[in-house]
Amino acid sequence: MQNKNIRNFSIIAHIDHGKSTIADRLIEYTGTLSERQMEAQVLDNMDLERERGITIKAQTVRLDYQGKDGETYQLNLIDTPGHVDFTYEVSRSLAACEGALLVVDAAQGVEAQTLANVYMALENDLEIVPVINKIDLPSADPDRVREEIENTIGLDTSNAVLASAKTGIGIEEILDAIVEYIPAPEGDENAPLQALIFDSYFDSYKGVIAHVRVKQGHIRKGMKLRMMATGKEFEVTDVGCFKPQPVDVGRLDVGEVGFVAGSLKDVRDVRVGDTITFADHPAANPLPGYRGVTPMVYCGLYPVESSDYDNLKDALEKMQINDAALVFEPETSAALGFGFRCGFLGLLHMDVIQERLEREYHLRLITTAPSVIYRVYKTDGTMVEVSNPSELPPQTEIEHIEEPYVKATVIVPNDFVGAVMEISQDKRGEFKGMDYLDTNRVMITYHIPLNEIIFDYFDRLKSATRGYASLDYELADYQQSKLVKVDILLNGDPVDALSTIVHKDRAANRGRQLAAKLKEIIPQQMFEIPIQAAIGSKVIARENVRARRKDVLAKCYGGDISRKRKLLEKQKEGKKRMKAVGSVEVPQEAFMAILKID
Amino acid sequence: MVKKRWGVYVHIPFCRKKCFYCDFPSYAGREGDREEYTRALCREIRSQGSSYRLRWGDPATIYIGGGTPTSLPPQCMKDILDALSETFPPAKGREFTVECNPGTVDEAYFQILREGAVNRLSFGVQSFDDRLLQAIGRIHTAGEAAAAVRMARKAGFDNLSLDLMYGLPGQTMADLERSVQQALELAPQHLSIYGLQVEEHTVFWDRRERGELNLPDDEEAERMYDYMTSVLPAHGYARYEISNFARPGFASRHNLAYWQDVPYLGLGAAAHSYLDGRRWESEADLSRYMDQAKRGIRPIHPEEEMTDAVAMEEFCFLALRTAAGISRRRFAEKFGQELDRVYEGAIREMVRKGLLADKGDSVYLTELGMKFGNLVFEAFLLT
Repeated sequence: MQNKNIRNFSIIAHIDHGKSTIADRLIEYTGTLSERQMEAQVLDNMDLERERGITIKAQTVRLDYQGKDGETYQLNLIDTPGHVDFTYEVSRSLAACEGALLVVDAAQGVEAQTLANVYMALENDLEIVPVINKIDLPSADPDRVREEIENTIGLDTSNAVLASAKTGIGIEEILDAIVEYIPAPEGDENAPLQALIFDSYFDSYKGVIAHVRVKQGHIRKGMKLRMMATGKEFEVTDVGCFKPQPVDVGRLDVGEVGFVAGSLKDVRDVRVGDTITFADHPAANPLPGYRGVTPMVYCGLYPVESSDYDNLKDALEKMQINDAALVFEPETSAALGFGFRCGFLGLLHMDVIQERLEREYHLRLITTAPSVIYRVYKTDGTMVEVSNPSELPPQTEIEHIEEPYVKATVIVPNDFVGAVMEISQDKRGEFKGMDYLDTNRVMITYHIPLNEIIFDYFDRLKSATRGYASLDYELADYQQSKLVKVDILLNGDPVDALSTIVHKDRAANRGRQLAAKLKEIIPQQMFEIPIQAAIGSKVIARENVRARRKDVLAKCYGGDISRKRKLLEKQKEGKKRMKAVGSVEVPQEAFMAILKID
Repeated sequence: MVKKRWGVYVHIPFCRKKCFYCDFPSYAGREGDREEYTRALCREIRSQGSSYRLRWGDPATIYIGGGTPTSLPPQCMKDILDALSETFPPAKGREFTVECNPGTVDEAYFQILREGAVNRLSFGVQSFDDRLLQAIGRIHTAGEAAAAVRMARKAGFDNLSLDLMYGLPGQTMADLERSVQQALELAPQHLSIYGLQVEEHTVFWDRRERGELNLPDDEEAERMYDYMTSVLPAHGYARYEISNFARPGFASRHNLAYWQDVPYLGLGAAAHSYLDGRRWESEADLSRYMDQAKRGIRPIHPEEEMTDAVAMEEFCFLALRTAAGISRRRFAEKFGQELDRVYEGAIREMVRKGLLADKGDSVYLTELGMKFGNLVFEAFLLT
């Protein structure tokens, strides 16, 4: 395909603004899939994605479209993950494109996350085509949204397409706009190969399949190639494009988007952002922007049944095959036994992995409260990174501790500015700035500890703003903080999995709240259970779960056994979610209790 | 015919008034249906009863429960007793119980019961405190209860049981002690004690939801339990089952049958049956029950045959309610497997917690185990 007939583009949109529906319509309209093959939202093919209405794994599809000029165009849609956890993946997808559709809900307007992605697209010099979607809604206000786009992003909206993906309005116009406004790719067919990896997945027959954009040169079956960052070399066994299932066409030319496979066994050899080149005469430099994967949030995952340890290990390994961002290593907890310390890109990533483990592998898990990575500078001059609060060295050995801060961007209607500031202040945030996006909406930025973000920041924002707040954040830096570890003792014994690291000034309060919350969560048992919160050896809060006095089924009416059985089964079902910690039965949710207090 | 121990349960789903704690299947205000129900029930007694009698011989026990059996008009009760006597000719040693509400019986009624071969009466007394009786929605006074018991004895009944409740709203230890004292003065052969449980679809449930139910706290309820379970044995009533106490030789055989894996045939609306390894409940809706009986349809909801696992679970958690507990021999006979092969872990754990005792052939609840029966029963669930 001649470069001038190729268009590579992404879709930038906030959750629920209709990205997947537009993608579906484009696939349908260009006849890439027949109606029979068309499943609703073909691009979001994981159950979980469909349920949550979000894209976790990006997908790619090539559409053949006959433009108004009668020429056939190759349109490569590069789908992007739509969540704050996957910012880096988004940036690589955008780097593979020359343009992007900015899809904005005609009733909702621009959101923080969209904005972050648009800025990223602009940094990558992408041509942006605004699409105002859902114009069929009674509450649609395309003119206001146009104005908002112009004010906030400074984009010319005269070429904006008005669409309703649901009813099919504007789909042809979108395709024509892509052809007309998005530039064709440039590049030298005969230069040494530079192909950008923007995604990968594991196929049990073909091994790791890399999604690539050929920036310079070309790829043919049988070539010997090399990953420039990891150094991994391989021979191309399959190369082609996505329609949206991979079709082996034997080649990828400069400017094109598709896949490469070559019996690669380990997804870690195929890093998003890495550059593929020739093994023999490599390109002088890799493409810019490669970054290793760095988990931001850690938690412990433990099987409720200790006999499930090996199953959990297998499941994590299988999951890791397709998810280079997931890291884990064995960990032992005095309270929970054998499990794994797992690192994630963010909270959503953590939720998704946990839910998939339970759903797809039928594991019952205890998840400990998430933690960020602290840098602990010790008095002996060394530094250790701590992602598990129970591993914090004794206070006497600590010189100081640094914690990660993020730049958080919140967009809200201006009525809620006060609420956002109050919560952010309470979360130890430092106000950085405030910009009016239009007459009604405000963008507020804070420098705030990541630790506070993962403890219910967004939930609180949502409830204080009646759901209007949208949040985006990116890691900013590490700063010194006065942090201490709060331990929890049940029945006099410390439970390592309940330890948490908090700011010194709120430790006493957190300890009290946590003890009170645990009292609510832990059911009465045959004996009294004292709950204590302590900093070092100093007890800062105390509660008691009173002993259950008796537990016996009374009258049996006329031989009705089924009734007794149902009661016992219900009782047993409740216990299944408990973990015996010493002699105390502790419900799963207790380990997340720290997230439930405010 | 293979002679076998089995029992018959007959359900009378009528009450003059629904007690505030009761969620059992019974109807208040359906007096107009009593005659037709009696006809339907007699038909079922004759057809079902005789076919099981042909298979297994005479039942060892018959139990008429409710609801309030004695809220039936005398003629209805007479018809039912006649149908039962016809179907199951009175046999020596048979235990035949009728539940009585003290507010519904008189000399003539007792006479009818006597003539119908009834030899054991169970009185729903609950308390000897008029204030409490009223507070839980009973229709009788303490005086009426005592009088009814004496009257029954005069009519020739020498096997009497009283039900008592504890943990009632507003009840104090002193109230309970007085009630127990009065019960003991009446010298029944058997006593059943029930801690109040607030069930859904009852007056008490709604009151509790509204925060208007003043129940004794856990500690007080425990003291009441401790008192009952110690004072009754001290007066010669052995605790043969979690909530039942009897003078030697007066344990209710019908009651024990439920726990001892003995089959029983349930007759009447909402009656439960356990026969041929299956459990089922008869149609519970009064109108549907009568309609089906009229059209000659057997008014039951058949249930799947129990799997071995389910049968083992029930065998164990039911047997554990009795003082004798589980018999290893009987378990092995029934299932062709050793009890310990299936439940070794559960037994060890419960013995360690002091809830179970393990002695020779038997595994049974300790005193503490009786108090926390549910924890032990749960440990015997396999699925």
